[in-house]
Amino acid sequence: MRMSIDVGGTFTDLMVDVPGHAATMFKSPTTYPDPIGGILGAIELAAAARGVAVPDLLAETEILFHSTTRAINAVVTGKAARTALLVTEGHPDILLIREGGRTDPFNYRTPYPAPYVPRSLTFEVPERVWADGRVHRPLDEEATLAILENLKARQVEAVAVSLIWSIVNPAHELRLAELLEQHLPGVPYTLSHKLNPTVREYRRTSSCAIDASLKPIMSDYLRTLKQRLEERGLRGQIFAVTSQGGLVDVADLAERPILALNSGPAMAPVAGRHFAGIEGASTAIVTDAGGTTYDVSLVKDGALPWTRETWLGPIYQGNLTGFPSVDVKSVGAGGGSIARVDSAGLLQVGPESAGSTPGPVCYGRGGTRPTVTDAAVVLGYIDPAFFLGGQMSLALEAAREAIRRDVAAPLGLSVENAALAILDLTTEGMVNAIEDITVKQGIDPQDTVMIGGGGAAGINAVLIARRLRCDTIVFPDVGAALSAAGAMMSELTTEYSSIGFMKTTAFDRDRANALLAELVGRAQAFFDKAGPAARDRRIDLSIEARYPSQVWEIEVPLRGARFDTEDDVAALIADFHARHTDLFSFRDDGDAVEIMSWRALARCRLSDPTSIRLGDEAQAAGAVSHRPMFFRETGLVEAPAYRLEHLPENTELHGPAIVDSNFTTIVINPGARAVRRPGGHLVVHSAA
Amino acid sequence: MTLEAPVSTPSTPFDGVKLAIMQKRFDGVTRKMANTLLRTARSGVINTARDFSCALVTAGCELLTAADSYPIHVIGGADLMARAMLDIHPEVKRGDAFLHNSPYHGNSHAADHTILVPVFDDDDVHRFTVVAKAHQADCGNSLPTTYMGNARDVYEEGALIFPAVKVQSDYVDNRDIINMCLMRIRVPEQWRGDYLAMVGAARIGEREIMRMGRELGWDALTEHARQWFDVTERQMVEVISTIRSGKARGTCTHDPLPGTPAEGIRANADVTIDAAAGRIVVDLTDNIDCLPVGVNLSHACARTAALVGVLNSLPRPVTPNAGSLRRIEVRLRENCVVGIPRHPHSTSVATTNLGDRVSNAVQLAMATIDPSVGMAEGGAALPPSAGVISGRDPRNGHAFVNEVILAAGGGPGTPVQDGWLSLFCMGNAGMPFYDSIEIDEMLHPMMIETRKILTDSEGAGAFRGAPGIMTAFRPIDCDFELGFCSDGTVNPSLGTRGGGNARPAAQYLESDAGEVVPLSTSEHVHVRVDQRVVSLSNGGGGYGAPETRDPARVALDVAEGWVSPARAREVYRVALTADLAVDGAATAALRAGCEAP
Repeated sequence: MRMSIDVGGTFTDLMVDVPGHAATMFKSPTTYPDPIGGILGAIELAAAARGVAVPDLLAETEILFHSTTRAINAVVTGKAARTALLVTEGHPDILLIREGGRTDPFNYRTPYPAPYVPRSLTFEVPERVWADGRVHRPLDEEATLAILENLKARQVEAVAVSLIWSIVNPAHELRLAELLEQHLPGVPYTLSHKLNPTVREYRRTSSCAIDASLKPIMSDYLRTLKQRLEERGLRGQIFAVTSQGGLVDVADLAERPILALNSGPAMAPVAGRHFAGIEGASTAIVTDAGGTTYDVSLVKDGALPWTRETWLGPIYQGNLTGFPSVDVKSVGAGGGSIARVDSAGLLQVGPESAGSTPGPVCYGRGGTRPTVTDAAVVLGYIDPAFFLGGQMSLALEAAREAIRRDVAAPLGLSVENAALAILDLTTEGMVNAIEDITVKQGIDPQDTVMIGGGGAAGINAVLIARRLRCDTIVFPDVGAALSAAGAMMSELTTEYSSIGFMKTTAFDRDRANALLAELVGRAQAFFDKAGPAARDRRIDLSIEARYPSQVWEIEVPLRGARFDTEDDVAALIADFHARHTDLFSFRDDGDAVEIMSWRALARCRLSDPTSIRLGDEAQAAGAVSHRPMFFRETGLVEAPAYRLEHLPENTELHGPAIVDSNFTTIVINPGARAVRRPGGHLVVHSAA
Repeated sequence: MTLEAPVSTPSTPFDGVKLAIMQKRFDGVTRKMANTLLRTARSGVINTARDFSCALVTAGCELLTAADSYPIHVIGGADLMARAMLDIHPEVKRGDAFLHNSPYHGNSHAADHTILVPVFDDDDVHRFTVVAKAHQADCGNSLPTTYMGNARDVYEEGALIFPAVKVQSDYVDNRDIINMCLMRIRVPEQWRGDYLAMVGAARIGEREIMRMGRELGWDALTEHARQWFDVTERQMVEVISTIRSGKARGTCTHDPLPGTPAEGIRANADVTIDAAAGRIVVDLTDNIDCLPVGVNLSHACARTAALVGVLNSLPRPVTPNAGSLRRIEVRLRENCVVGIPRHPHSTSVATTNLGDRVSNAVQLAMATIDPSVGMAEGGAALPPSAGVISGRDPRNGHAFVNEVILAAGGGPGTPVQDGWLSLFCMGNAGMPFYDSIEIDEMLHPMMIETRKILTDSEGAGAFRGAPGIMTAFRPIDCDFELGFCSDGTVNPSLGTRGGGNARPAAQYLESDAGEVVPLSTSEHVHVRVDQRVVSLSNGGGGYGAPETRDPARVALDVAEGWVSPARAREVYRVALTADLAVDGAATAALRAGCEAP
């Protein structure tokens, strides 16, 4: 049996999957400050549902997947460890100056962002290595020891070490590590060249600082999690989800906690790719619509979207993780986004959100400003009497009044038309976000399928798809817990890389082969550690390269692990040109190619990549209710509302209609068609 | 047009939903254009420092959107360029594209090559013009730099000038023009690649607008522009109505150069705010004539610099377009150093130096009229830390020439916030990227020894300017040449409303033996292997009296090393305890002694 736990900001999602049986899904409120309480709460629900005791359930669990927003929350709320930064003398402001850049050119009322580590905890170490690795100035150990004494006195909880050109010659960083072990034993530290061996000192330093600052809290948390679950009977392994969309052993994560920063959202495309594949599509727009954010990502040709630029916080104002991650774009639009009319008479929706507290007006928890969810209730899409499977009833009249007062009256519209306008504008913001990630990569949304994940996806997914001219939307039955489901489908991965500059006009096959052999060796050691359960072992080798005088590299997969002949080199060069054309629409055949780094992605599976699906509830099929709904095309209309788990398979239904489940509501607009597939998911044709 | 009275609310309410949605789609068109340019350009100044802009104007040559663009590039120039295109070529056709870089016909300066493409509906009616502009790595100047600060005229400047020259017909290049460029622009293949990227971006914009026209109806697009202009004009009227009315002059002075008056070049901005009428006038006519140097402003830059000064100063941001800008009138004079230049005066450096002085003068004037608006003066652009280095790399024998973007001016204090550190200059609004130390050292035989903020260099204030940045760099295993045309060495950025001036910029060469060679504002020098270039950039001026600054902010500045404890005490009148907390009683005593400034 496998379990997947996703600790979110509001809810802790749990999926339980027993091979040969249907999966089950549970939600329990996340607990603060100790999230382990929420995890145990969800496990207790699962145990009760199966009629067993918690220790028995845990004893049956072979593998437990775990993703959490704990690391990112610590960064965002400034609760990470008190961290010192050691840098090369002359460069104390790497984290302050960043790489420049600014948005919103006429607004000088935004404060300049503070560095991730304050200047008062940044220390300049006398030393310097130059670009070719030569030591321009030796490490001054006496001065270093004085700095370490200062760190002790300042009671720092973690240390980040990031020196200029340590990726070419790490001697000084390594020596600093020895001195730290001696003089500050027990204080965790991170070396930039080991964590993230990439050129560009800001990115490397930023990732180093973030990683070091997470070590104390994440190490403690992971240790406690393991201990408490084992006390309650867990015997299996715990794997942590990474921002890279893979899995690592929790012990490895404690060593490099930055890997887990954005682990939740990274799993949505993993799950999305799976459900797109079931429908025969390899390119998919994966959407995850929550209460405050709308996360979108693009799976292209079956590959997860990847970025080397991940910002924590707003672009140019937050901190760059300097680390590759699954590329998930978030916009501030969701069920809780607040609608208002500004002083110029323009309708605005979001980014301000009512969140879960006080929440939309219809929750009746003190919210007074109308939200997208309130619009959906007013339009009759969400059944006020059966929200979240009837766990909560909604205040329809209060929602109507809020929309009338804040939107309909100022715009001179009826309440229903005001609600439609709110959905239209929200839709436009989401469409923009999707166009950003599709058009940018030369993808026409028309040629993709859309995956509707998250509790709020179904409200306007058809409208979004129509604007994008995208015909097919897939709503997975596990869509409301897309991340937890994704973790179960994921692979165990770790990436290794080496810096090794080489120009193709002077390609050194022996050196290339040696670099690759070393990477493959490290990958093999990783497989050995993963144990005998690790199957489908694969090592993806690639280079990062560019044309001369370019400064941004692109990644090109290698065809093999060795360069035996010049033909192998020629093939690599051809692959680079092709990849460059694919990404940027042009190539420069006459030019040499410069290889900057060599990479190996080791991956294996822990179990069969079976489909995770929920069971059908044993209730009488065909229970259909009718309720009044409002659409632009029809006005007020009495339309059917179906239960998703009762829909007969492969039978088409036509909009206007609603398909409800305990976790979500899917609107089938007039003209759209929907069909429930044998896999349990709903496929909607938008008739774009 | 008449601007006497504020626009009254129209009798028929506009559709706020439709307007907002359609404007997002137009903004999206410029984003798609920008993305194409960034990803396909060949030169670092475009694909790394992203020195480019994209805009859309209507058939009537009104600016519709310039989302995510450098302000100085397009806010007050895209319309002038489209107009010049139509004046010179009354018969534009589908498939035409125009290469335009003439500062005498609405462009910013000669280094900013621009591609203009008129967009037609299915009945061949001209509906919009798309604009893609990018700063070139080279534009054929007489020296290998795009900033010819000391050029006495356009002939000495040397740039090829294209006054809206038709470079494509029926979507096909005029090879003659391309061939001419390939013979007169350095690193010609790089230029050609950047040219293709610009044409590509413009064609993407054309395609997107045609899609919108066919989907939504061409008349709807035109009607949208009309309504959108009205809405944003009303937004501008409303924002102006919250400002005090009044009249004031702001004056900022560019450092002297060979050929300018000894006291430098003064830029006077006479600003009149009429809150009741919802109107702001910036008059730049009381300024000296064009000078035999490269820092004269072009028509577009003079107008834009004045507009930028106003837009920066407003109490809340208003999107600039032909509608909102109806409410800001800029008065310019022919043959004026900050007006409309007369050919052949050179405008090689029009986008940064004197343009910034104009924006700053407007900001100071606005602050004089109303203490809740305006800004102090921002730090100067293009010090040696943003200079052009050239030479031969001993590692591979290749010649190199490149503008490094290590640091430049710091941002000015505002009525509510401290200055933005990585401003670069007012006209670029902090949007350029700053170079990575490691990337610069990898690409060039240089070592950047130091890049850090300068303690106590900020213009003090209730809201202080950002500090300057100290940069030190040197050649490695060779000598190299360095060229730069800066400002702020003689005339630092000014504070306002009691705020202090920033520390002046300074630059010098220092040898390993300790010999120091001072450098002036604009130089081209040889740097020996045993020398380092030291560049102290200009921070921003302060806003409001420093002794009224929130003591907690002062304490943080001291803890973070931006301000020394002595300066905190003497200038900000804040006393700190040994652990750098605010000593409330001692601070009150200090401040009591300096009341009534």
